[in-house]
Amino acid sequence: MRSPTHSFVLEGPRAPIRSLLRDLWSSRDLIIMLARKDYFVRYRRASLGLVWAVGLPFVQALVLSFVFSKVFRFETDVHYGVFVFSGILPWSLFAGSLGAASTSIVDNHMLASKIYFPRAVFPMVTVLTALFAVVPGVIVLLTMALVLGVSLDWTVVLIVPGLLLMVLLLVAFNLVTSALHVYFRDIRFVVAAALTAWMYATPVLYPLERAPGSLRTIIELNPVTGAVTMFRAPIGGTENLFPAVWWTLAWIAVLGTIGVIFQARRDRVFIDLL
Amino acid sequence: MEPMAVNDQPVIRLDGVTKEYVKYEDTPTLLGHALRWNRTKRSTLVAISDLNLEVARGETVGVIGRNGSGKSTMLRMVAGVTAPTSGRTEINGRVAPLISVGVGFHPELTGRENVYVNGTILGLSRDQIDDRFDEIVGFAEIAPFIDTPVKFYSSGMFVRLGFSVAVAAQPDVLIIDEVLAVGDIAFQGKCFDRMEEMRQGGATVLVVSHNLNAIIRLCERTLVLDRGMTRFVGDTHDAVELYHRILAEDGPTDAGEGSAGGPSLAARLLGPDRRPVAKVEAGGELTVRVSVSGPPPSNNAHLGVHVNSATGVMVYSETVPFAPLAGPADSPAVLDIRFRTQMPSGSYKVKAVLVWGGEPHERAVSPVIDFYVDGRPMVHGLADFEAVFEVPAEIVSPPGPGSEDEAAVADATPDHRHDLGDVDQEHPRQRSQPAPQTGGAGLDQHPVTDPGQHGYQAEPPQR
Repeated sequence: MRSPTHSFVLEGPRAPIRSLLRDLWSSRDLIIMLARKDYFVRYRRASLGLVWAVGLPFVQALVLSFVFSKVFRFETDVHYGVFVFSGILPWSLFAGSLGAASTSIVDNHMLASKIYFPRAVFPMVTVLTALFAVVPGVIVLLTMALVLGVSLDWTVVLIVPGLLLMVLLLVAFNLVTSALHVYFRDIRFVVAAALTAWMYATPVLYPLERAPGSLRTIIELNPVTGAVTMFRAPIGGTENLFPAVWWTLAWIAVLGTIGVIFQARRDRVFIDLL
Repeated sequence: MEPMAVNDQPVIRLDGVTKEYVKYEDTPTLLGHALRWNRTKRSTLVAISDLNLEVARGETVGVIGRNGSGKSTMLRMVAGVTAPTSGRTEINGRVAPLISVGVGFHPELTGRENVYVNGTILGLSRDQIDDRFDEIVGFAEIAPFIDTPVKFYSSGMFVRLGFSVAVAAQPDVLIIDEVLAVGDIAFQGKCFDRMEEMRQGGATVLVVSHNLNAIIRLCERTLVLDRGMTRFVGDTHDAVELYHRILAEDGPTDAGEGSAGGPSLAARLLGPDRRPVAKVEAGGELTVRVSVSGPPPSNNAHLGVHVNSATGVMVYSETVPFAPLAGPADSPAVLDIRFRTQMPSGSYKVKAVLVWGGEPHERAVSPVIDFYVDGRPMVHGLADFEAVFEVPAEIVSPPGPGSEDEAAVADATPDHRHDLGDVDQEHPRQRSQPAPQTGGAGLDQHPVTDPGQHGYQAEPPQR
């Protein structure tokens, strides 16, 4: 049985970008399978299991909304708890996946040293694993909104393109950080440090219009802002979507291109450094 | 054996492949790189140098060499995991490595879940795994445990399941890297049979092992690597011979151990003619020449020899009080330990150990020497008892009429002693079972009257 798609010729470390993309596409079953594995392995031994997947961002939202509404007397047009949760959900998707992705190629070196598939599979898997936890989160969010009297209209459908933006953004970021981390093991700490500040530079706890003029431009440039705002549109409104979404798309294009070039150049030699 | 059809392109083709690794004395760090701190602290290590190899469809090729000779690098290149620094690797077909314990399997997942994960990694679709699932579980003989998390599996069960999934992927190239050493003998036999089947179906198998028995048994051609250089590609027996010459020439590769300032041990392996050897015929004589140099050990010194199997099981050990003859200062005390290799064919490791002093003992260990025992491939276990299989004289009776029945012969068990008597006297076993193809591995050198009687039917053909 000859399977021509698996044949290969290697004459140096560089893989043509086209063949990398083709291999990645044909690895989609593998990405789904590995993500499911990670997801189940993570929650299998916990007695509350999958409840934690939604529970953690929920608790985080609860604490933050308490602190900001009761201590700092912060208020929004809609119920503040719902508002914070609608920001924490996409943010935790971003933070969770980016943190795991940067070490993903290094973490999987045992498997990666035995069999070839594009190493970019590993950072992609972290996106999907994190995404699994968001779906029940969205259901909880919408239930919360209805119970706490937040009126929902057609903008609910914007949650889907919001998640799509976030996924694309993560893919772009993850391709870059996972490749860099193979060479520079400081990257995971850089990412961890950046994430703590990054959350406050993203309109998670506050609506974008509350940011004062000069800061607002910076926050709009932040690649995560567009994705969070789109996801939150049913709760936070659609007024601030642009130009943040354009910026997000620009980041996706630039980082995605850089990431694919990095991965293609190093795909078949990453393992030498692990 | 015909290597390949004339126009068929090779499945594996390595053209002048060289692989160099950059060795950093420190792994590069972000700052170090940015500021060019560790610019000078790198050196190049040549793992594989100018390797040329073509493997045709349906060939089984062995790769042998000492640790660090470049075997794993070569496998990685065939698997496409790493690209050559120069030269060209061309693989025509799908490669499936036998993913070893703890790599492809997640301990928390059940056997069933792991089959799906591993199958997907090997490139099977969900439907394909569904179709082959029963076959995979059946071959691995773990049906009752398939829904148990694999952390409760024995290492044998792990390997069985891993092998089973790998072959179910029907790869064009199957890579076997050492792991088969773990399975039990019966399952190994099954694996060998399955590999033979795959080979007949056109699959190419690449075997890397320190278990030279397996190499001899499976591979018609073998590549010998030595420090990244290709020393030989060709007939497996010649390859094994050369490998042992390399081992004997170079002696042990590790340094042994001992406390600073204490005595240190060196050891060499000598044949009956007192020349260095690394291979001996089963039952032949080996001498471990131990030299103890440095300050003589204090009181209560004992010198021992340890022989371990390739899998690390102690085969033999004996320790005697050690009182070196007072020789001239600075010259080491030399002792020969001579023994007969009454053990099955295979690779072994021998070392000498000197202990002295009170509790706790101090000790010095010689470097470990590898050697190979050849000529008794049908013997398994730790020791070779050189058993004699014979029909008791009082039971042997003259052939009766009608006892030529083939079925009765094939079915003969100790309960059919009258049949056995017939076969033994008139028709050797080969009548009802094709003779194994002998390939020089020295089959049946002991007085077996009827191999089929003693479970040897389970053995795959020898090459």
